[in-house]
Order: sequence, then C-alpha cells, then structure tokens
Amino acid sequence: MNPLVEINALRKVYRTGNVDFEALRGISLNVSAGDFIAIMGHSGSGKSTMLHIVGGLDTATSGTVTVGSHALHDLDETALARFRRHHVGFIFQFFNLVDNLTVQSNVELPALLAHRQDRRSVRRRAADLLDRLGIADQAPKHPWELSGGQQQRVAIARALINNPTVLLADEPTGNLDSGSSQEVLTILREFNQQGQTILMVTHDAISAAGAQQILLLHDGNIVDSMIGGDASQVAQRLTRLA
Amino acid sequence: MMNAVWQKIKADTTGRPAMSFLIVITIMAASALLTLAIATLTNSAAPYDTSFEALHGAHIWVYFDRDRIRTRDVERIEALPQIVASTGIQYSVRTRAAIGDTRVWVSVRVLPTEMPLTNALLIQEGRFLAANRAEILGSNDLHDLCNLSTGEVVGITTPAGERVDLPVIGLAYNPTWDTYRSSQSPYLYVTEETMRMIFPDDDTWEWSLGLRLADPNSVDDVLNTIEGLVRAHTVVSHTDWRDVREAAIFGAQLNFVFLGAFSAFAIAAAVLVIASSIRSTVLAQFRQIGILKAIGFSHRQIVFVYTGQYLLLTAVGCPLGIAAGIALAPLPMRSVAASLSTTFEPAVRPWLIGSVLIIISLVVLLATLRSARQGASVNIIKAIAIGAEAPRRRASWAARWSSALGLPMVLNLGINDVSARPARSLMTGLNLMLGVIGIVFGLALNTTLDAYEKDPSLLGIVYDAVVTRKGYSDSRTRRTIAGAPDVLAYYAEDIIDVQNAAGHTFQIRAIEGALDEFPFRITAGRLFNPDSQEALAGQGLLDWLGMEVGDWISLTLEDDDSLPGTWQIVGTYPEPVNAGQMLMVNLSSVEHIHWEPEPRTYYLKLAPDASSNALKAHLEPREDADLNLTMVGQSLPDTVIYLQLAIFALSAILVGIALINVFNTSLLIVREKLRLIGVLKTVGMTPRQVVAMVCTSTGVLGILATVVGIPLGLIFTQTVLSAVSRGYGFGQVQISIRPTLLLLLLPLMGGISVAGSLIPGLRAARTSIVRVLRYE
Repeated sequence: MNPLVEINALRKVYRTGNVDFEALRGISLNVSAGDFIAIMGHSGSGKSTMLHIVGGLDTATSGTVTVGSHALHDLDETALARFRRHHVGFIFQFFNLVDNLTVQSNVELPALLAHRQDRRSVRRRAADLLDRLGIADQAPKHPWELSGGQQQRVAIARALINNPTVLLADEPTGNLDSGSSQEVLTILREFNQQGQTILMVTHDAISAAGAQQILLLHDGNIVDSMIGGDASQVAQRLTRLA
Repeated sequence: MMNAVWQKIKADTTGRPAMSFLIVITIMAASALLTLAIATLTNSAAPYDTSFEALHGAHIWVYFDRDRIRTRDVERIEALPQIVASTGIQYSVRTRAAIGDTRVWVSVRVLPTEMPLTNALLIQEGRFLAANRAEILGSNDLHDLCNLSTGEVVGITTPAGERVDLPVIGLAYNPTWDTYRSSQSPYLYVTEETMRMIFPDDDTWEWSLGLRLADPNSVDDVLNTIEGLVRAHTVVSHTDWRDVREAAIFGAQLNFVFLGAFSAFAIAAAVLVIASSIRSTVLAQFRQIGILKAIGFSHRQIVFVYTGQYLLLTAVGCPLGIAAGIALAPLPMRSVAASLSTTFEPAVRPWLIGSVLIIISLVVLLATLRSARQGASVNIIKAIAIGAEAPRRRASWAARWSSALGLPMVLNLGINDVSARPARSLMTGLNLMLGVIGIVFGLALNTTLDAYEKDPSLLGIVYDAVVTRKGYSDSRTRRTIAGAPDVLAYYAEDIIDVQNAAGHTFQIRAIEGALDEFPFRITAGRLFNPDSQEALAGQGLLDWLGMEVGDWISLTLEDDDSLPGTWQIVGTYPEPVNAGQMLMVNLSSVEHIHWEPEPRTYYLKLAPDASSNALKAHLEPREDADLNLTMVGQSLPDTVIYLQLAIFALSAILVGIALINVFNTSLLIVREKLRLIGVLKTVGMTPRQVVAMVCTSTGVLGILATVVGIPLGLIFTQTVLSAVSRGYGFGQVQISIRPTLLLLLLPLMGGISVAGSLIPGLRAARTSIVRVLRYE
C-alpha cells in the first residue's frame, strides 16, 4: 500500500545574513494512513521544521514531500493554502484561536473558508465535534474565557472540522498542566484509533509514549526510531542523544 | 543613560528605513497642510496692506473744482504739518474710451515718465510709460471689465469727437482705486505730452492731489483742515484709503470664508493624521518595548527613546513640509490677491515657519508621549511574546450582522477589525470624512457657480445690455432705444442718494418701463405695483437697517432737508452691488423728494438671437456717439476661477492626507494581526483572501466616511454659501449638485480606501507563516 505521507531526501537550509543553517539534512520518511508518530529531539533538531514542511506552512530547499496525491513541492502559495484547508489539521502549542470569534465560529472557520458545505452542515459538524470533545456548552463563549485545556480542545476541533488527511500537532501539551495534557493526549489517541493519521512534535517523553512510533531527530537527521509505550525508555533514548 | 537612549534612537530610525520614511512623509504632508492653512487664514488683508505700503499709497485723495483751485492752494496744503508726502497735482480728464467692442467711461490721468514716489503703481503686465511716446498704461481693472491686455489699442475720444488710438504698453495696479465707488471711472495713464496731444486745453483738466499722512487715521481731520484753507466748495470729493481698504477686503471676503473653512479642515486633518500614525506606530513596537524593559530600560528611558525618535523624524519632515506649503501657498493666495486686484508675493515669514514647527512638534510630542507611556507600562512577558495586539473584544454588532447575513468569513473578519481599535478607526474615518466633505464642497461650489453663471438673474442681473447717455435727453434716448433692432423691452433708471431718519445713507434705483418683461427674482414678497409708493429692498439693506418686508421707510435726499418720501417695502430681490444695500422704487414715486429725476441708465432685454453688432451700429453709429452700449458679460471673474482651483487643490490634499492615514492604519492593522494572519493562513486562507480581509476594514471605513460625509458636506456648503451670500446682500442661496456625482463618491472613496490598504494587504499575504508563529 502506498504511504499517505512520503518524504524523500528532504533538506531545509535557513540563511540568516551570510550564515547558512541546515535545519534538515536529507530526511526520508514514509507515514501510512492511521499512523500516530511522535517526533522528538532537542531544540534545533529540525522536528518543527519537518512538521511545517509536511503541513505546507514552509517549503523545502530540496527533496520532495507528497501527502496523499499532493506533491507539495509543485504547489504555489494559493494551492498550498487550499491544500492546508482541505487536507491538514494543525494544532499549536499556544492554541492560536481567533479571540474575537466565538468557540463555535473558531471551529467553523476552516470549513467556511473551504466553501464546501452549506452553513447548516458546517454548524452541525462543529457542534458534533465540540460535543465529542466535551465542550459543547462553551460554544457561545470566546477563547479568552476558557481554560488552557479547553482552548486546546477547541483547537483540536478546528483542526478536524474538514476531515483532514493528516493531523499535525506541534507541542500540543507544551502550554498545559499535566491533567489537561493527559486529556488532550487521550483525545488524540481516540481519534487515531478511529483512523486519523497524526504527526506530533513533542519534547515530552510522556506525551511521546502515547504514540505508536517515536522518531528521534538530531541535527536535522532521523537518528533513532522506537515503538511507543514506555515513557522512561523514551526519556533515556532522548538523553543519550545529547 | 542618555548614551543608551541615543543609541537606541539612532538604531530605530536608521534600522527601519521604510517606517521612518513613512513617518517623515506623514509629518511632511501635515506640515505642508498646516503651513498652507495658516498662510491662508492670516493673509486675507495682507496683500492689500503690503501693496499699499510698498507703493506708498496716498491716505487721502482730494478732488478739486477746477474753477476754484489755485496752485498756491495746493502748495499750502502740501505744507501742512500732517502731510509727509504728496503726489503733486495730478491732472485728469474724464472721457470715453473704445476697448475692443466696448466703450467705457475712463479717467485719463497724467503720470511723470518716472514712477512717482508717492502712490506708485504696481506694474502687473508690460512696462511703465516712456518719454516721447504716445502710449497708454492701463489700470488692471480694465482687464477684468473689458479684457484689456498689453498690446491692444485703446481709442480715446477727444473733445472734438475724434478718436485717437493709443497702444497699451502695460497694466498697473493702483492701491487707491476704489472698486465700489460708482463715480470713479477706471484709469488710463499717459504722459503730460500725450495728454496735451489728446486734450490740448489744460483748463479742462481736472485737478486732484494724493497725500500721505503722518497719522493714517487722521483723514477726516486733514480734510477739514484742507477745506478750511481753500474757498468754499473747492473740494468736490475725496477718497479715504480706509474705505478703499475695506472695499478691497470685502471683495476678498468670499475667499476668506471659503479658504478659512478649508484651513480649519486642513489643520484638523494634519493633527489627526500625525496623532493616529504615530500612536499606532509606537503601539506596534510593543515587543521592542518589552525587550527594552527586560534588559533594563526604565519607564522614563523608554519614553525618551520614542519621543526622541519621532522628534528627530519631525526635525527632518517638518522643514520639508513647510517648504512645500510655502511653494503651494500662491494657489489660494492668488485667489485672494485677484479679488484685491493686486498680486501676491509669497513671503517666507519667520513667524509662520516657527508656528508650524512648534505646532507639529507639539502634536508629535503629545501623540508619542501618550503611546510611549502606554507601552512603557505594558507587561514585559506579554509584550515580548505577543507584541501589540488588538484588545480582546467580542465580535462587533456589525460583524455579527454580516455573519448572520451569510457574508463570506473573510469579509466578517475585515469588518470586525474596524471595531478592534475604535479610536484608531474613528481617526482614520474622520480623516476620510474630511476628504469627502472637501470634495462635496468643491463639487457643490462648482455646480452652484455654473447655475449662477447660466442664469444671471439669480444674482439680480435681469437684463442683457446697458445703455448710458451723456448729452441726449431722456426722451430722445428712449426713442432711440425703442427703435433699436432686437430690443424686446427696456426700463430706465435714475440712481439717487438718499438718507433715512437715522442718517443712514444709501442709494435707491428709481425705475420706470416694461418691468414685467424682466425676470426680476423676488426672493420674498412681490414686485411693487406701477405708480405706487411701494419698494423692493435688497436683502443687505434690510439686514443693515433691521427692517422686514411690510415695513415703511421714509427717505430724504442726502444732505437735503426737503420733505421725506415714504415707501412700503413689499418684497426683496438679489441686489448685486453695494452688498445689497439698495432700494428699488417707481421713478414716479421719487418726485416727492427729487424734483426732476433724470434717468441716465437704460436696461435692455434683447431677443435670444440678437445681433450685438447691429444693436451697436444703431445706438453708437459714430465714434463720438452720445449713447454708450455695454453688453452683459457672463464669464466668471478671475477671483472665482482661482478660488475654485484652490478649493479643488485643497480637496485633493485632504484626500491625499486621508490616503496616507489609510495606508498607515492598514500597515499597523497588519502588524497587529501578524500572528492571526499566520493562523488564518495555516487553516487555509489564500493570499487573495488575506488581501480581501485587510482591504475590507479600510473599505468599510471609506464607505462609512462617505455616507456620513456627504450630508455633512452639503450642510457645510449650504451654511458657508448662505453666510457669504448674506454678507453680499443676496439673501439665501440655493446650492446645486449633481446627484450622480454624489453617488459616484461612494465607490470612489471606498476605492481610495482600498487602494491605501492594498500594499499592506499584499505584504500580509506574503507573510511567512513560520516566521510569524516562530515568536511563540
């Protein structure tokens, strides 16, 4: 079976003034449908950069990335925006909700931009997601009126509104307390069990242990790979990287 | 401490060239506008005063009875202690001159071959008179009256009835020629040699004397002294320089009101654009401020950094703006100067430059202080993490409505931005509104003037031609007119000087003829009945005397103790002269006070396709014909043309200022929303949608400003024009404006607003998502 996400010899070089920094040094990776992969590494290892390129937020210096049937290296800015709209769900560390929209409107936002369905259907889908995430009663409120955990759940609902091909999470528990972190991870696992493909960047071993597979990045290369489950083992492997 | 502050100031101003350039441009535009505004406001009388002093104008002109005055009388007058300078005896003859197709009464005056020291002339075209040449220097009033220009030929009628053609070698301004004295004919200047050639008998030359006084306000005392020195009735009349000045300034009143109103707009726009631009720019540097605080800058140091930065940019932009304002000043000033029949010489005045520098610096300082203090008080962590963001608010009612109406999400987000920072949106909207009001005013003025130009009866000019007589009798003149081709009707008029019981003196038009054939505009009441003791009053007269339609007025001849005549005022009409302070009555009704009224002026109504040549040939068959025909001209005077140009220029400047403000506002909206734009692009907003969102905010402001600005502009126009019209004695004025032009303003201002935000929108669309979100 063809992989859902195919990364081939991916390189990313940042130029700051006269200095070049190679964030990714020719990474290759295949992700199958339904996978839940955690990407770990120290600061500057390139994990967020890889996530951004897979999500179409950034472009590669060289190499190819294919998500579903979309070869991202062939898409212009507008096509990338449409790709993000229909095929990617993104969850951020700091939630990044729109403050002057209600929770309901925040969740509907990608679907309304997509113009794929009528408003009633969008509203129903959003309400359904909020209900599944246990925050249906927060729908008329604004983001600043919610706790961190609640805001992240709104962000998850927004990311899932368009049934994305892949869900990308960049440190989704980085700004949460342990209780809220557990709730978010549980939600992600539930959706993964229902078939959602998830790529998650994290520096937290406990969060990473919840994934099926853990990739360790160091200096722009994938240096190790392990099965998820044991947080202490993950922590040990990560320490050895340093 | 100041070293660190200065280092930061230098780094900020040079390290962000685009932003610094933007602020400099904003300050420059505001300074130019303010310079223009102050120069306009303070300059209404200056052209006259400046010219009068530069030309050593005579404070009093005395006109003598030629049969009674002697040379020794003039010497005694010139020796009076109150007299500091004299023109010497000036000789003149009143005669008719042919200028183009027109014959006008003129006063031919002798000048020496060198410019006189007292009451000099300002040569506005051509040159001064030369010796040994038969030539004419014309007064510039003849340019306005008859389109006289240098190089033309004027035909002077000699006492023998012959015509002497003389070339016009220049046009000159005389600071003591009174526009409003109907007895004062325009001047033509010649040398004494030329005068003798045309009028050989110098006993027929009139004498006058121009005197500069030690005390310019002692005209009345000096006149009394002069009259005491000479025989009775030697002094026939005089001209007081203060009356000329007042008349000149009155003529500029129209410009002063219009340009003064615009100046007030300009000042408001200048202050608004600086305040909103600088405030927003400082707020956008919150992240910087947070970092400065984190590394140890105190509250005061941060305030110094930002006030110092913007005062430094002011020091660059303000002088440039002042220079631009001085360069542009001639445009409105030319309008004022044209109405004063003088020229404007833009002067670089230290006080003007100083005032603009101080005002702009003060506005910059206040705007920066407030924002810098706000920034210095912000939470460090939040400032560094997020920078300046719009305060958290619920969606505005407008955004909720647009969402409920099913408008695209992109438009909803744009509409919401308008309420994100209400103060900034209000200032941007106000600036746009000022531009709209300016455009509406300019359009309304243009259309209204067009309407008045097409229908002179709106100004009280109900006739097509005017005939005056010299030696013919009234009956002979009427017979001649009645037999003229294409004359449909006429009425005769005698102007009589009268006074009321309170001693107010003015003039009445005593008329008689086919009045029903003339489209008199009766603004209130009705026309008087024939052979009645009824009167029509100019609105200016009613305002002056505090009277109304229906009141009775008793009048006697001026300086005469005869029995008074009484009339009932039954209506008002637009009187074009003397600020409307005239009365119009039946000729027969003045016989109570005036023994033998003698019409000397006849107003003609002509057939639509009347031939002016045929009419002229009938009424003026010879060069020395007794009757004089003047066709009514309908072109706008220079003063109004310049005023229209000035108003459109000022409107364009106001719109330009609004555009700068829109650009600044959009740039800062984008800055504040950078993170949000990153998020929106992440969830799939295309670059085009980002541009649409940014442009929607300003487009909405532009449309709102237009919707509010159009009615305000119409109210403003009506108020200003009515005030001016009342001042001129016309009463109420009806403004006209084409509705289609007003409707076009909506897309125009919306388009201008969108255009102002296009570049910031495109920048936002190109924002790197990763770079923006990296600051988390």
